Formats: sequence, structure tokens, C-alpha cells
Amino acid sequence: MKKVFLGILIALVVSSSLLYFTAPDRSSPVPVLYWVTQDDPVKRETISLFKEWLQDEGLPPLEIKIDNSNADATKKLTQGLSGVGADLFDVYTGQGALFASSGMLHDVTDQAVAMGFGPDQTYPSVDSIFYEGRQYGFPRNVGVFVNWINTEAFAKYGIPEPDHRWTWDDFERIGKAFVTAANPPGTRERSYFMRNVSISTLRRGLGLSIFNETMTRCILDDPRNAEVMRRYKRWVTDLRLIPTTAEQGAMAANSSRAGDGYFYLFTTGRYAMLNVPRWGLIRLRPMGKVPFRIVEPFHSGFPNSEMGAGMVSVYEGSKYKKEATLFLKFLTTKRFNLLVIRSGDSLPPVPKYINTEEFLKPVDHPDEWEAHKVFARVGPEIGIGYARSPFVLLGIVNREDTKVSNSVIAGRIAPEDAGKELAQLLNSEIDRTLEVNKNMRQKYDDLVKLQQQIDELRANGEPVPLEWISNPFHRVYYKAQGWLAEDSQS
Amino acid sequence: MKRSLRSRGLFIGLMFLLPNILGFLAFILVPLLMSFGMAFTDWDFLRHNIFRDEPMSFVGLDNFLRLFTHPQFWDYLGNTFFLMLGLPFAIAGSLGAAVLLTRAGEAKHRIKPVVCLATLIMVVCGIMLLKSGMAESGVWLFFGTLTAVTLVAGVMSGGTLYRTLFYLPNFTAGVATYVLWKKLYHPNTGPINQGLGTLLDGLGAWVNSMPAVFAYGMPLVAAILFLLVTFWNIRRLQRSWDLSDGGLVALCFGSATLAVPLALLLSWLGLSTGTAILISVLGMAGFVILTSFRSRPWGVAKPADKGLGTEVALALLLIPVMLILAAAMVIGPTLPAVATVGIPAPDWLGDYYWAKPALMIMGLWAAIGSNNMILYLAGLSNISPELYEAADMDGATGTQRFWHITWPQLAPVTFFISIMSVIHGLQGGFEMARTMTLGGPAGSTTTLSYFIYNEGFETGRIGYASAVAWVLFALVFVISMINFRYGNRHVQD
Repeated sequence: MKKVFLGILIALVVSSSLLYFTAPDRSSPVPVLYWVTQDDPVKRETISLFKEWLQDEGLPPLEIKIDNSNADATKKLTQGLSGVGADLFDVYTGQGALFASSGMLHDVTDQAVAMGFGPDQTYPSVDSIFYEGRQYGFPRNVGVFVNWINTEAFAKYGIPEPDHRWTWDDFERIGKAFVTAANPPGTRERSYFMRNVSISTLRRGLGLSIFNETMTRCILDDPRNAEVMRRYKRWVTDLRLIPTTAEQGAMAANSSRAGDGYFYLFTTGRYAMLNVPRWGLIRLRPMGKVPFRIVEPFHSGFPNSEMGAGMVSVYEGSKYKKEATLFLKFLTTKRFNLLVIRSGDSLPPVPKYINTEEFLKPVDHPDEWEAHKVFARVGPEIGIGYARSPFVLLGIVNREDTKVSNSVIAGRIAPEDAGKELAQLLNSEIDRTLEVNKNMRQKYDDLVKLQQQIDELRANGEPVPLEWISNPFHRVYYKAQGWLAEDSQS
Repeated sequence: MKRSLRSRGLFIGLMFLLPNILGFLAFILVPLLMSFGMAFTDWDFLRHNIFRDEPMSFVGLDNFLRLFTHPQFWDYLGNTFFLMLGLPFAIAGSLGAAVLLTRAGEAKHRIKPVVCLATLIMVVCGIMLLKSGMAESGVWLFFGTLTAVTLVAGVMSGGTLYRTLFYLPNFTAGVATYVLWKKLYHPNTGPINQGLGTLLDGLGAWVNSMPAVFAYGMPLVAAILFLLVTFWNIRRLQRSWDLSDGGLVALCFGSATLAVPLALLLSWLGLSTGTAILISVLGMAGFVILTSFRSRPWGVAKPADKGLGTEVALALLLIPVMLILAAAMVIGPTLPAVATVGIPAPDWLGDYYWAKPALMIMGLWAAIGSNNMILYLAGLSNISPELYEAADMDGATGTQRFWHITWPQLAPVTFFISIMSVIHGLQGGFEMARTMTLGGPAGSTTTLSYFIYNEGFETGRIGYASAVAWVLFALVFVISMINFRYGNRHVQD
């Protein structure tokens, strides 16, 4: 028995040593960087283009390995804060502030200016690359939500398609006509008009944001929010134009198409419309020819769309920070931006490439040319970044917002009380942050004073300096309403 | 010489134990102690880590105080307890399954009734199919035939097939079964609702044909049964008091068994929650006072908690029964109006009120054929056959054999299973809710373990999450202690 145990011990030691000495970063003659991202053909092509670019630029060669198994946000956070994070990782809109505030992201502000991947290289609305005024990465792509129409489904029931710019009332009217025609009595598998809508876009349509101008308080205890919730409830529970979250999950699970179930349901007409950014093309193109059209998200006075970036950041604990920063520079190159365009991903990170022939008229997809015109216009025209208060994590905001919306749908909260409930929850979170994080108190107090000044100016009908406003929605909305001081509008 | 041999033996023994001891220290004891310490600090992942030099502070009991004033904590605790309501049924189901499985082998030679039963199932399915058409009741035929085939094949295999099938959920990956249940629960195309749809259509037609019976008859019958159960329980409690079978603590607990359904019924009938609770508590207090003044010819019960175990066990059975009767009283008058447009099948995972029962049913399915069933099977095989032979000679019926031999002999197993089930019940629910509902809709399936995950890993408040974890531990500890104190009374008998 002793010999058996000894044998097992020796085998384990030998196997561990073999693994250790054959690890990619030991066997490779060049530095090996790990990139936490999805493992797909586009990412693999990105890596080979990066290597080509390094060679063309006369830079020392690098190896990049994809780490697909640690893409979950909590894994990134726990590994990063334990000192074993990957050198590069994808950071999505909700994660930027979380990771940056923890210190695990490398501050690239100075390198960005020196190497040419600063904020001037991307869209002005994409502010998620910043935290407290410092830059922590560069976008890999920029997503702007648009409404996709399955034109075949509309034609099948003789329902007129919505216009490029359409309203809540249009949505309700056309939606009612569609679900009535598509779901005659006895229908087993219900078809819906749209898979989901963004509550934030609906609020913004009425000139309301979740936070005030300085993002020091949640301001949803407002009659406009009650109107949004009333409509939303009607669309989901009364008219059944949109499925509940559980119905969405169940439909996707039933579609037998892991991961892209709702795109499949869109192609079959079970969803007449989708609300997703341009990256939907990655999912739809392999499903064959699907006739579709793109329009703006429907509005109620102020057309707008949510705009967010999938950013790549460098890990603060990486051995290869300098080399990893080169990858961020690579994201501004023509060869990478054209790859984003070719692959059907969201908008390329550098805006000038959306006005190229490659973007507007992809040779292999002439049936998409009309859609690309819209993709190119919607972002710069009505795209607005997410409101991210430094005093409450976006993850908490989204979680509580979803919970309260679901409570309205479940009939547990009246639409009129939803805003009050959410404001109470989020403002208590803000108070909690200030209570435990004393360092933020001074900044908060200063911003509260600024907010009082903004409120006074607005009450007197006077213009407000743009630099006082940190909420991306209010910056755009004030400009559109002509409420900005003239010397600050540039 | 002897001493050196003993030292050598000790050394070798320790070397064998060392990997386990090291693992226990590194992965259990040290993290446990650390988490206890963390619960008294303001450790926030985002501010206190290797990249930030902000010092951590000792905050005393702040995390615990914050927790108890956090309104959502109580909601999530309530959700955890709600999901645990299925535990007695799961334990009973495991025992039932184990008893049936031991009998399955005996039934091999009595296949005729089984074949008859299988045929009956298939005939019923066939009638359903003919009546409702292929689309709606195909699922009945499928499941009916499957049941019939399983029934026959199981008996013919001497029970081996049944054992395998019953244990199947336990060795299937959790997430895979959750995805399967998600499909089963689909509101429109899920087999459960398809099967229920036929039944509900039938029920709807029945209600429409005699609305008065359902509007007035059903609540009346339910009310009579509710009163009968209440009076039976009152009488039982009084008798138990008179005969000194129950002490004051047991009397109070037994009264609470009556008060809880009454409070809920009053609240469902439209009274405010406060008034409903007040009336029930006053009623309960009045009953306890009146009963405690009754004479006790058999002397005062010692100790005061005598009979508490019986009251707890009865509460677990009576409260659900009384709640069903109360629900029938409330739903009855509204049923005809609902039936005119058709009684809808539940939106299992999408409806706030159905999501928790849906998860509970799924948990029940998994728990019946779990390790508990294996433990009961082992326990049953350890019961001496002489006991049954003696009972047979005394002319005991099957029921008497079960209550006077099987059940007492299995008491140690039941006690162990109860302890472990309560611990798992309090700690569980995360994987299931994360996969099926993401804690929703509107937080209705967020359990304490899910809350710990949210606070610890989504918002980085490790200190606070540790405090929640230790409160959970305290709950497990207290409930286990109560279980040890009152649950193992009959184990040593």
C-alpha cells in the first residue's frame, strides 16, 4: 500500500512539473500575454492581425493567448484582486467603474496621449473608458441599440412597418395589430411584437434620467417615471406585446439554439422585432438570408438610444503592462477597425471608419446596405452613454431597477410608486457609500452644492455651464433644449 | 524498542493524515476563522485590496445591525424559509420511495395487478387523447405510456430499474436538470402546462356549468372543514394538557399552529395585516390562558416543553392543509368569473407568487430520490425481520406494522436526515435560483445564499457578506440545536 501511495505521489509531482515547464509562457521565446475574452474566429483573427501590425511597425513580437474560461465578471474581479488576473481583459459598460475603482485596471491616461489612443480617437458619448477623469482602456467596439424589424413577418400579416423615427403610440398601435394577427385563438406558441425594451431609453424619451445632473441623487420619484412604468406594464401584461423575463428565458430554452435562441426566434417571426446593437449581424448572418430593416428605438418626444463600449483594459498586476498597452494602440488601427466592420460586430471603435465604403456597402452583403446607413447614423445622432454615478455601482442600479420593474409587472407595486421605491433604494445605497467611504464625502458635498446651483439656474430659466453636468444624458438633453450657457457648448 | 515502534507508527499515521489535515486547515478552518473576523470589519473588495492601501477598519457589530435593518434581508430570509416548507414532504417522499422500493422486489411474482394498473393508465390517457385532440393531450399519452412502461418494467426488474430512476436526479448535473425543468415549466409549450391545460379546461367547463356550487358550495365546504380541523386541534390540545402529555411550551406552539392560518385567512379576506395578526394573537393567547386554568388530574407535565416534538410535526402537516382550505374559501367566490374566460395555467417561473412553489416542487422532485432515500433503504434493510414476524403473528395490519415497527426503528435515520435537510435547506437555493430565475421575479426567489453572493461578489462588500454568512450559520446552529433538543427524543428509545 505504501508503494502505491508513493507511486501516486511521484506521478503527481512529475505531472505537475511537466505542466509547469510546458506552460505557454515558459516554452515561448517571446512574452506571452493572456486576454480574457470570448474565444471566437474574430478574436483569433484580431490576434494574428496584431502580430502582423507589431511586425510592420518594427515592434518586438508578442504572443497572445485567449482565456475564455474566466470571462465572468466576478471571476475577473476575484482573480484580479487576488493578484492573478490576465494581462488584458474585456471590460463591459457595467464593469468599468467596478474594476477601475478597485485599482485593478492600469491607468493608461498618459500612454494614451503619447501613443495616440486617447478619447479623441473614439466617440464623445463613450465615457465608460474613464473613471474619475482617468482613462482605463480603449473600446474594442461600440454598441448602439437599434430596433430590428423582420420585414417578412410584417409582410406575412399585412402589417405596415414602423417609420425610421417612431413613437410610443406607433409602437402600441402597430404592436397591437401584429400580435392580434399573429396569435389567432388557439395559438400554442405565442408571437411577440418585440423581445425587450430599454426602460432607460423610455425614461430618457420623456426627458428623465435615473440620476440628477451631478449624479448625486436618484430622481425617479417623478410623474414621468410613473408614466413609463404604466406603459411598460400595459405592453407586457395587458397587450402582451413584450414577453416577461421568464417568458423570454423559456422561449430561448425551447428554441434549441444555445446562446442565440432569440435571434433564431426573430428569424422565425416569433419576435417581430429585436432591440440590439449592430453585433446582431454576427448571429444572424450564419442563419441564412433574413430580410430585415433597422430603425431607431421608438421615443416619446426625445429620440435617444443607449450607447456602450466593450473596452479592453490592462491589468495593473501584469508583468507586461507596457506590451499590453500596445494592444490598445492596435485597436485604433485601420486593420482592426476594418475587421470589426467585416465581422458584423458593433460599431468600430474609431468613428471615422463608419463613413467608409467597407462599412456602408460591404461587398458580400448588398442586402444590408440600407441597414448600415442607419447603423452609421444612429450612434452619432442619438447615442447616449449610460449614467454611472460614482456613488453607487452600476450593477446595483441595474439589479434594483430590474427588480422594481418586475414588481410592477407582478402587480406588487403600483406604477406610481415604482420611482419612489427605486429612488429610496438607490439613495440609501449612495448614503451607505458615503458612510463607509469617507474619502468620497468632500467630492459629494461639492457636487451637491453644484447641483443646487444648477437647480436655481433652471428654476430661473437661466442657462447652465456644460462642465457642471456629469450625467451624459443631461449633457445631450440640455444641449438639445438650448439650456446650456453659450460659452460652454463647444 | 516498543516505544520507537509506537513513534514510528504514529509518524506514519500522521503522514497519512497530513494531506487531509492540511486541506482542512487551508480550505476550511483558516477561511472560517478569517470570515468570522471579516464580519466585524468594513472590508470592501473595491477599497481594501492589493492595489489600494486604504486601511480596513474594525466596525464592531455595524454589519449585523445594518443587516437586521435591511428590509430585503427579511424578504430573503422569508424566501429561504418558504422554500424549506417542502422539506417535510421531501423527507416523507424519500421514506415512501424507500418503502415502495423494498416492496418492488416482492411484487415481481405478483405482476398481474401491476399490468392491470398499467393498462388502466394507458386507457385513461387514450380517453384524454380522444376527448381533447392530439395537440393538447399528446403529452398525456406520452407521459401516461411512459409511466405504464416504467411501472411494468420496474416490477419485472425486481426494483432495480426503480432504484436507478429514483436516484437519477442525484447524479445528474444540477444545471442540466434546472434547464430541463425550465422547459417543463414553459408557460405555453411546457408539458406541465399542456397537461394542466386540459384539466383546467375541464374544470373551467365544470365551473361554468354549475357556478353556484363553486361560488358558495366550495367556500362553505372549505369553511366547515377548516372549522372541523380547528376544533379537532383545540380538543386535542386540551386533552393533551389534561393528560399532561403536553407542557406549556407545547400548548403555545400548538396554538400558534392554529393562529398562523387564521391570520393569513383574515388577511386574504381583506383585513389589514396588523389587525389580522392582532386578532389571531389575541385568540391564541385567550385559548392558552383558558386551557392553562383547566385542572390536570395527572399532575403538571415535566418538563414544560413536553410534547413539543409532536406539535412541531403536526404543525408541518396541519398548516399546509389549513392554508389550502383557507385558499379554497377565498378563491371559491371568484372562480366562476375567472372560469368564464378560461382558467389559465400558472406562469410558473414568471409569476411572483408561483415562482417559489415552482422551485419548491422541483426541489421536492430532486430530494425524494436523493441520498435520503438511500439512507432510508439502508435503514430498512437493518430492521430485524423477527420484529415483522412477531407483528404478523399478533395479526398486525400493514399500517400498524409501519407505525409500530418501521417508523420507530427508522427514528435515528429520520433524525439524521432532518438535521442535514434543514442545514442544506438554509444554505441552498443559490444554484437553482441563479439558473432558473436569477433570483426573480422581483426578488421572489432570492435566498440568503444568493444574497451573500450578490453582496460579496457583485458589490464587493466582503465584510457585510461575511456577516450575512455568519447569521446564516447562527440560524443553522440554532435550528439544529432545537432539532437535537426535541427531535431525538425517540431515537434512543
